[in-house]
Amino acid sequence: MKISVEDVRYIAKLAKLSITFEQAQKMVGEFEGILTHFESIDRLDLGDLRVELQDLNTGTVLRKDEISVFKDKEKLFLNAKSMRDSYIRVPKIIE
Amino acid sequence: MSFETVIGLEIHAELNTKSKLFCSCPAEFGAKPNGNTCPVCLGLPGTLPVLNEGAVVLAVKAGLILNCEIMTRSRMDRKNYFYPDLPKAYQTTQYDIPICRNGYVDIGTEELPRRIRLTRIHLEEDAGKLIHLEESDVSLIDYNRAGIPLIEIVTEPDLRSAEEAVAFLKALKSMLEYGEISDCRMERGSLRCDANISLRKAGQNTLNTRVELKNMNSFKELQKALESEEERQRELYSLGEESRIVQETRRWDSAKGKTVPMRSKEDAHDYRYFPEPDLGPVIISDAMIREIRESLPEMPADRKKRFRDLYGLKDKEIDIIVGDKALSEYYEALTARGTDPRAGANWILGSMLKLLKEKGLEAGQIPVPPEELHKLIRIIKEGKISLTAGQEVFSQMFDTGRSAGDIIKEKGLSQISDRMELGRIITGVLDDNPQSLSDYAAGKTQAAVFLMGQIMKATKGRANPQLAREILEEKLKKGLP
Amino acid sequence: MNIHEMTALEIRRGITEKQFSAIDVVRAFFEKIYEKEPLVDGFLTLCREEALAKARQIDEKIKAGEPVGKLAGVPVAIKDNICTDGIRTTCASRMLQDFIPPYDATVVKKLKEADAIIIGKTNMDEFAMGSSTENSAFKKTKNPWDRKRVPGGSSGGSAAVVSAGMAALALGSDTGGSIRQPAAFCGVVGLKPTYGLVSRFGLIAFGSSLDQIGPQTNNIKDSALALEAIQGEDKRDSTSVRHPVTEDYMSTIEKGVKGMKIGVPAEFFDFGLDEEIAFSIKACMQKFKEMGAVAEDISLPITKEGLSAYYIISSAEASSNLGRFDGLRYGYRTENFNGFNQLTEKSRSEGFGEEVKRRIMLGTFVLSSGYYDAYYNRAQKLRARIREQFIKAFESYDILLSPASPVLPFKIGEKAGNPLEMYLSDIYTVNINLAGLPALSMPCGISRDGLPVGLQIIGPHYGEEKILKAAYALEQELRLTAMRPTL
Repeated sequence: MKISVEDVRYIAKLAKLSITFEQAQKMVGEFEGILTHFESIDRLDLGDLRVELQDLNTGTVLRKDEISVFKDKEKLFLNAKSMRDSYIRVPKIIE
Repeated sequence: MSFETVIGLEIHAELNTKSKLFCSCPAEFGAKPNGNTCPVCLGLPGTLPVLNEGAVVLAVKAGLILNCEIMTRSRMDRKNYFYPDLPKAYQTTQYDIPICRNGYVDIGTEELPRRIRLTRIHLEEDAGKLIHLEESDVSLIDYNRAGIPLIEIVTEPDLRSAEEAVAFLKALKSMLEYGEISDCRMERGSLRCDANISLRKAGQNTLNTRVELKNMNSFKELQKALESEEERQRELYSLGEESRIVQETRRWDSAKGKTVPMRSKEDAHDYRYFPEPDLGPVIISDAMIREIRESLPEMPADRKKRFRDLYGLKDKEIDIIVGDKALSEYYEALTARGTDPRAGANWILGSMLKLLKEKGLEAGQIPVPPEELHKLIRIIKEGKISLTAGQEVFSQMFDTGRSAGDIIKEKGLSQISDRMELGRIITGVLDDNPQSLSDYAAGKTQAAVFLMGQIMKATKGRANPQLAREILEEKLKKGLP
Repeated sequence: MNIHEMTALEIRRGITEKQFSAIDVVRAFFEKIYEKEPLVDGFLTLCREEALAKARQIDEKIKAGEPVGKLAGVPVAIKDNICTDGIRTTCASRMLQDFIPPYDATVVKKLKEADAIIIGKTNMDEFAMGSSTENSAFKKTKNPWDRKRVPGGSSGGSAAVVSAGMAALALGSDTGGSIRQPAAFCGVVGLKPTYGLVSRFGLIAFGSSLDQIGPQTNNIKDSALALEAIQGEDKRDSTSVRHPVTEDYMSTIEKGVKGMKIGVPAEFFDFGLDEEIAFSIKACMQKFKEMGAVAEDISLPITKEGLSAYYIISSAEASSNLGRFDGLRYGYRTENFNGFNQLTEKSRSEGFGEEVKRRIMLGTFVLSSGYYDAYYNRAQKLRARIREQFIKAFESYDILLSPASPVLPFKIGEKAGNPLEMYLSDIYTVNINLAGLPALSMPCGISRDGLPVGLQIIGPHYGEEKILKAAYALEQELRLTAMRPTL
């Protein structure tokens, strides 16, 4: 199917990826190839199959409403770039 | 041209579970920032959700209380978007198939009933909290709230005025409180409400462009925001500029006293919903529904009716008492011990509410056990102390936690109800006020009131008023001295 | 025999019978690692200190006469998308180059309980997206059989280190063939269990409804042993199995294939299959017949469309799973930015490689409004249909045979510029993930150029016991356990 550079840039925005115009153009080509390939599924008559995948193994899995505390908070926040007291500190976010 | 206001509400209530929706972190309020977190609710790579049974039960309970159809098979979905308070960059919610559909809440009166329909109720997780510091180039994030279980309740656009919207929300809040589903505290954010409002010509049955309102943090603000927006839209219609009403989100600015457009967020709001692959379907058995239905506590409407039948109180009084679950339970603890319903109601509606307000406490925190108040009421009834003195005693009981008996003894507040003793005092007062005697004899009934005052003064308020009046009248009739 | 040439079973026996100590084992394997790793580049992180500490623990238990676990003393390498507490876990991505998980994946916990010794984390295609391990942000792993060729992917590092004798066991992950194809390329045994049999808790997610963790080993019995150790219900994974499963594969593994019904889908031989591989598969079919099984051709259509369904579903799920990497709370953060949007966009664009970005874009696209029904929804329906087809086939057959890859190990750089071609080479493996079935890849021959040829054995849901039994019989018959690359 045909997609435009605009489509690709819109998708990049949704996915929070920044791509250059050249990259977008390259992707148009790649996508069209892949999506054309995907069209093979259009030919199939799949009817109105209602798909309920997960219940194939499991059914509903529920956890009892009980508390369990993750004690080692220092370890938990080891990968945060910066903390203030026990808050995670990040560059200012404007709402 | 007569216009009709059309309002729909979207309410989020935090569920009263012990743990979060998908992990076992405590779901409590007020903990140290990030104290209630773990790899799962932080959305660390590799973690997976496991659904909290308690949350499912409360959601079903809410559905039953609100007259919904319970979907025996529903599903969790992912709602994808980027925001710093959303650790996984998606919220796990229910989009396609919610756990409850089609309910209603009846408000209004018996003569003018109003049924407000509900579209759906679904389960979802809450996001964390962002804190912006004024003069600073940093923001702070606390993920304690991330993963807290919420139910979202959506109404049909059946509400027709700001006042009605508030009445509905109050009724809903009361029902959720009685059902022990949520503690519904708007000031703490455990009950949140957004509104959709539009206007249309009276009689029209299609809907016009609606505006979404956010940031209303109390019943009052909800009412003001709706009224203000209603006014704004009406103004535009009257000027023929209704095309300027666009589908947008506006926030209530209480300082400005009006709704303002929200700074436009990312216009790309394509949430790309798809079924949550890490969770199975949510299956509710008929047995579970039956069990929950059978364990439902008494609802406000039923309690009001019961109060009306049993206690003979006025509607307005019942509304106030039943409107507060803990208060109504306290009241019934009194009547169960034999307190006269009328007397009990007077105490609750009078001194109790006054003291609670003064001390900034809630009915659930009343420091006087019902047994003790019951005793106090009996002491007053038996004439051992006056009502006025009793109110003072109650205030002391509130502050110190001591029993009525102890306080009365210590402060010597016992009422003088002994005929002989009172008689002597009254004689003394009459002796001291000969002028009043002659005034009374001369027909000035006002003098009796004055004399009563003097008797009270002499007894420091402890004279049993009915008895004192009786004795005074006897003596006055006799014409003394 | 040298310790590093022993099977996992032999190592465990050797330790419990006190022929050598766990420390001896660790030393032997690290010697091998120092020797071979510069040639293979299979590891991203080595854990010598932790390994020695664990070895000491095990030796003390044995000295004290205490019981030790099923994998006592066995050196294990773990694919770097499986979380290890306190040990860097990168998914071979710049995005997580310094990420240290604060918890162990469930399989890691089980390995530790079984007294296995974790010796390092292995290289992979970034975020498990790829079929050659060339998409790693850090290094390119070489195939021990021919260092100019790829080891396959995405669990290329795991397969290579086992093949080169640097670990007795490795864990990989498989979303569309990522355990089985590298196993075929490196001449080792790779098992993808039934979806849900092994917990995914701690596996950094790519395609949530497709991912499974599985063992890569040098022989079938080791694979069975490893599966016994890592499988089972996990309360922390809602998709993990919730009914009793076979706990003991070892007791039936030698029972042979007499009377087994084996199906070989005829369509599989169409997809541009390399003739040497086709020949090997057919030879295996013959061997099974000689061993008393019934092996015949069957028809299994719509396999080709399965590729589309696989890429649509896996990309969609991946685009959502990778949203959390925004440079804000952990992971790579760009240096210059203005506001949250830029911070996120630039961190993601700089932190992710090309293939990852491509799949995220593809996934975002197929989920976006207007396209959801055409792509994602249809793909799920197709998936259900494929699953049905397999279940029907297994009503008449115990196992199915197929190639693991249409091509022999290709040269490094050969397919890098053509993503579509790379995707098409997954043709034999993706449908198994779509259907949630178990499958094992094992060496079944050597090509003219001295490259390993792999056979894939597919079983019904929870049919690992049948697969292992058939695989073991074939392995003994072909006598290929001695087949090792000369590095």
